[in-house]
Amino acid sequence: MNAVRRAFDSDVFLGIVRYRVAIILVATVVISASLVPGILEFRALSLSLDRIGTTALVAVGLTLVLITGKLDLSGGAILALSGIAAIGLQEQFGQVPAALIGLAVGVAAGVVNGILVVVLQINSLVATLASMLFFRALCHFLTDSRPFSGLDPLFGLAVSRPIGGTFTLRTILFVALLVLVHLWLTRAVAGRNLFAVGSNAASAEASGIRSNGYVFGTFVFAGFTAGAAGVIQSLSVNTGSPVFGESTSLLAIAAVVIGGTRLEGGRGSALGTLGGLLVLAILTTAMEFSNIPAYTQSIVTGVILLLLILLDRFVSGKKGRDLSLTALLRSVRANRRHPENERTLAP
Amino acid sequence: MTETAPALSMRGISKSFPGIRALTDVDLEVGVGEVHAIVGENGAGKSTLMKILAGVYQPTEGTIELQGEAVRISGPIDARKRGIGMVYQELNLVPDLSVAENITLGAPPSKFGLVDRKALRARAQEVLTELGARVQPDDLVGSLPVSQQQLVEIAKAYASNPRIIVLDEPTSSLSENEAQALFRVIERMKAAGIAIIYISHRLREVIELADRVTVLRDGRLVESRSAEGITAGDMIRLMVGRELTDVFPKREVPIGDVVLKVEGLTRPGTFEDVDLEVRAGEIVGLAGFVGAGRTEVARAIFGLDRAASGTVTVDGAPVEATSPRKGVDAGIAYVPEDRKRDGLVPQLTVKDNVTLAVPGDIARLGWIRRGVERKLASEKATELGVSPPVIDRRVDTYSGGNQQKVVFAKWLATQPRVLILDEPTRGVDVGAKSDIHRIIGELAAQGTAILMISSELPEVLAVSDRIYVLHEGRVSAELPRGASEQDVMQAATGEVAA
Amino acid sequence: MTINIETVSTDRVVKQGFLSRYGTTLAMPLGILMLLVVGAFLSDRFLTIGNLTNVLINMSIVGIIVVGMTFVFVSRGMADLSVPATVAVGGILVLMLDDVIGTWPAALVGVLIAAIAGVVNGLLIGYAGLNPVITTLASGTIVLGIAQAFVGGVIVYGQDPGAKEFLTGRLFGVVPVIVLIFLIVALLGHLALSRSVFGRWTYAVGSNPHATEASAVPVRLVKAGAFVMTATLAGFSGVLLGISLQAARPAIGAGYEFDAITAVVVGGVSLLGGSGSIPRAIGGLLFVQLLTNILVLQGVPSEPQGMVKGALIAGAVALDVYLRRRGGRE
Repeated sequence: MNAVRRAFDSDVFLGIVRYRVAIILVATVVISASLVPGILEFRALSLSLDRIGTTALVAVGLTLVLITGKLDLSGGAILALSGIAAIGLQEQFGQVPAALIGLAVGVAAGVVNGILVVVLQINSLVATLASMLFFRALCHFLTDSRPFSGLDPLFGLAVSRPIGGTFTLRTILFVALLVLVHLWLTRAVAGRNLFAVGSNAASAEASGIRSNGYVFGTFVFAGFTAGAAGVIQSLSVNTGSPVFGESTSLLAIAAVVIGGTRLEGGRGSALGTLGGLLVLAILTTAMEFSNIPAYTQSIVTGVILLLLILLDRFVSGKKGRDLSLTALLRSVRANRRHPENERTLAP
Repeated sequence: MTETAPALSMRGISKSFPGIRALTDVDLEVGVGEVHAIVGENGAGKSTLMKILAGVYQPTEGTIELQGEAVRISGPIDARKRGIGMVYQELNLVPDLSVAENITLGAPPSKFGLVDRKALRARAQEVLTELGARVQPDDLVGSLPVSQQQLVEIAKAYASNPRIIVLDEPTSSLSENEAQALFRVIERMKAAGIAIIYISHRLREVIELADRVTVLRDGRLVESRSAEGITAGDMIRLMVGRELTDVFPKREVPIGDVVLKVEGLTRPGTFEDVDLEVRAGEIVGLAGFVGAGRTEVARAIFGLDRAASGTVTVDGAPVEATSPRKGVDAGIAYVPEDRKRDGLVPQLTVKDNVTLAVPGDIARLGWIRRGVERKLASEKATELGVSPPVIDRRVDTYSGGNQQKVVFAKWLATQPRVLILDEPTRGVDVGAKSDIHRIIGELAAQGTAILMISSELPEVLAVSDRIYVLHEGRVSAELPRGASEQDVMQAATGEVAA
Repeated sequence: MTINIETVSTDRVVKQGFLSRYGTTLAMPLGILMLLVVGAFLSDRFLTIGNLTNVLINMSIVGIIVVGMTFVFVSRGMADLSVPATVAVGGILVLMLDDVIGTWPAALVGVLIAAIAGVVNGLLIGYAGLNPVITTLASGTIVLGIAQAFVGGVIVYGQDPGAKEFLTGRLFGVVPVIVLIFLIVALLGHLALSRSVFGRWTYAVGSNPHATEASAVPVRLVKAGAFVMTATLAGFSGVLLGISLQAARPAIGAGYEFDAITAVVVGGVSLLGGSGSIPRAIGGLLFVQLLTNILVLQGVPSEPQGMVKGALIAGAVALDVYLRRRGGRE
């Protein structure tokens, strides 16, 4: 075991890990391109990005939650619930207001999660497991377990049509959101504080940062993004369904983990998540085009996820190794100055 | 020269916890720009005093004045606001943020909620330059070596414009060069008019740095004097000079052959080349300051942690010290220092705790035999005087002394040849304490080899047949029975006569 | 140095009132009793032997899984979310192979393969120390995917109506076989948890892994074992399910993990480990099942039931946290 540990400690290996998002992305592109010649064509890319759009929106919110060291499994259920609200209330309120209500539903769901985790101090796993169950059941209840259609199929179609031959509205939305979140995480005071909360809540609190507020906020935001995902999803196919988003949570977690955000909290990057999403997008599209069935795709996703968290575990002895894209430059510079990097924080 | 009020004046500070009086009537006065060292052995009250200053505890009696003004420090955040900066041994940094961000944590320069990066870097650089610390503001804290992380921690305390900075054992994980770099930073802070309280076991450093020294012993102030011309010997004498009351009876026991033999035990950075021997019936003390490596050595012998090299033999047979199970099978038992974390399973009953390490004795083919289990547990509990000897009660409902007895019971049930005791009477009341010593004596009489770690010098000196003293991971002395407290302290601080 | 003699705290314990000592033990039976009363009040069909037997039959499959999940909870393994996959493995394999090697050998194969999945979980969680939630989520997805690949998207049908007859029949015309099997499993599980060394170790690991490790107990083995057990039991229940339906598809196990977790949590087994028991978990299961039954008899459709379950989990955990804070030491 020790020899294995030492292998993991070698600089080469650490270098690979550090660059891993980039490497995985490149590898995925190369493999996919060789398997499916047409995949790098613009249209194919644009389509694959759109297909991952729903997962992407959930992943954005999830990234923040994970940075604070918590988990949120209810994304898929909130997604479905919001979609149902957005479609189901169209007759009563009109299409646009119904969509807005759907967003509000997502926010409300996030608030529920926040209350469970922060106020009632329930472990975030159990809390979001329970809320997932609850929301999902609510979906079934409201729809009598049957998907239903909205008023006007053309209304939502615009969302998933390539705008001017480039990317779809959905794609633009999530990329924009990711960029914004990234900027927030790297530039805004509150964003930087988020890392402190996840990394060392005690010293964050001692420096005057109100950890509870931040955690609550991330759950609300995650609810909002899941709500947005659901609303857009339902609008684009003009359907409200209680089974939407069932596999979304896992995919979102996979994307976030691939992107280098740690499950234990304190580290993460929205750009990393973007990279992870790209990987998943290209991978799933390539597999689709190669007629690889859905279940094999989920096997692949699961295996990648497991391998990555295994990797994280063995490398995690070296705290502070930022594995996200953006911190590459920083740590490369740091490394040049301190070649004898071995000690870590005192326990 | 104008009379300026001292930066800090603590008068008549007493602090009691249930059952323990940690501090009695302690005075401390630190002037502006003064480096004031506080020394004392383990448990003398240094960290309690500092925790009071940091607002973590409230004094039971006494007053605190900052710059001549009487204050009541309500909590850690209040302490910071009042200009008291604490730099603890366990660093309080966020590893995933940069140096600059850590320094300004909670209040970075910002514009409209966005971090003003230039100002952030500039402010951090300003602080670092003033301190003469050679750390780059943009580096990720988690990627820095500990010595630099410590500098960041100091910079963080410094950045809040403190009047007083407390450094608790700052050089414990530093090399000689790094320590020198730290001293230069301290000089700078001193020049800036900050009062510095320096807690350390390294008397040489105290002599080099301090303007004044305060010695605490058993929660009381022994002396507070100028550091001019002070020697290590002076300090040791002050730290230690008490009469040995014969609280700990020592039985005369025939000493047999060597049971435990440790050779060349090494873990780079923690302990090095440790050789020890314990014979049957012998009680060997292991003394040294906190951080000298005693617990680490003990755990490595037992197999709870791994040593990088070295050998351990019991009765001549080599022990593969790779896991506690191997240790137990070889006849070694370890009563841990941290009872709460490593000693007891709180939600289980006395019975369950006592029988935890000997499943083979109470079960057949994995099936627990209730009669056997209860008998064993009752026997051990009564033997050790657990009061009341109700084995079905949860162990966390008992007092500290009784809990320690339960831990003892568990390990005695393994019928060890070697018993390693790590602070066996810490947090234990007087009654239970003498019980435990009686038990130790009996075990020795039965031929068990006992290695005892204790920070309580009178205890160690009274019961040990021999004492090894560890200093910074190495055995600095092996003292015979009859050694004095001074002898032990000298070896513990590394001031061994050539 | 003045040392005050520490007051021995035994009187602190003696003063504990009847309620706080026996409160938690009595709560569940009282709750079940209450449900029985309410149910009888709301519907005449409730207290009939036929209805109650149905309740027992319905809870048997989940009940077997609950036994395993209890070990996971007690050892502080959080939860095993790969249950739907292992259930599916059991159900599919037993039916695919029943005409090839006979039903009971096929059952064995199903359980074995499920056990292997459990071993993988155990290695990753117990030895590599990975987060149990994500790990079982991922492994469940992988195993389910493999099952789907195996089956190729069709429903697998069984070829042994005799086995189904047996399983869905009654012993001595009274006791449903499947309920009997569940009770046997529950009994064995209870004995294992409360009277075996491994069970003792499970409590110790969940309560304080550090002290347990320092006491020479193989902590990692215990943590892994809980997951091996759960997967095996889930596989077994999948086998039973498959045989009794004579039809199985990969989705057959969907939702069982939540039902099991709900039962365990409602039964008062703490997520944080170190406490609880099989009878408590079964009690929780009974409670939920009775509640569901009452709602069904009232004509309430199945969806709100899920909502109730979700609310129950949240409520039960919040209560547990609250009680721990109130009565807990520091």
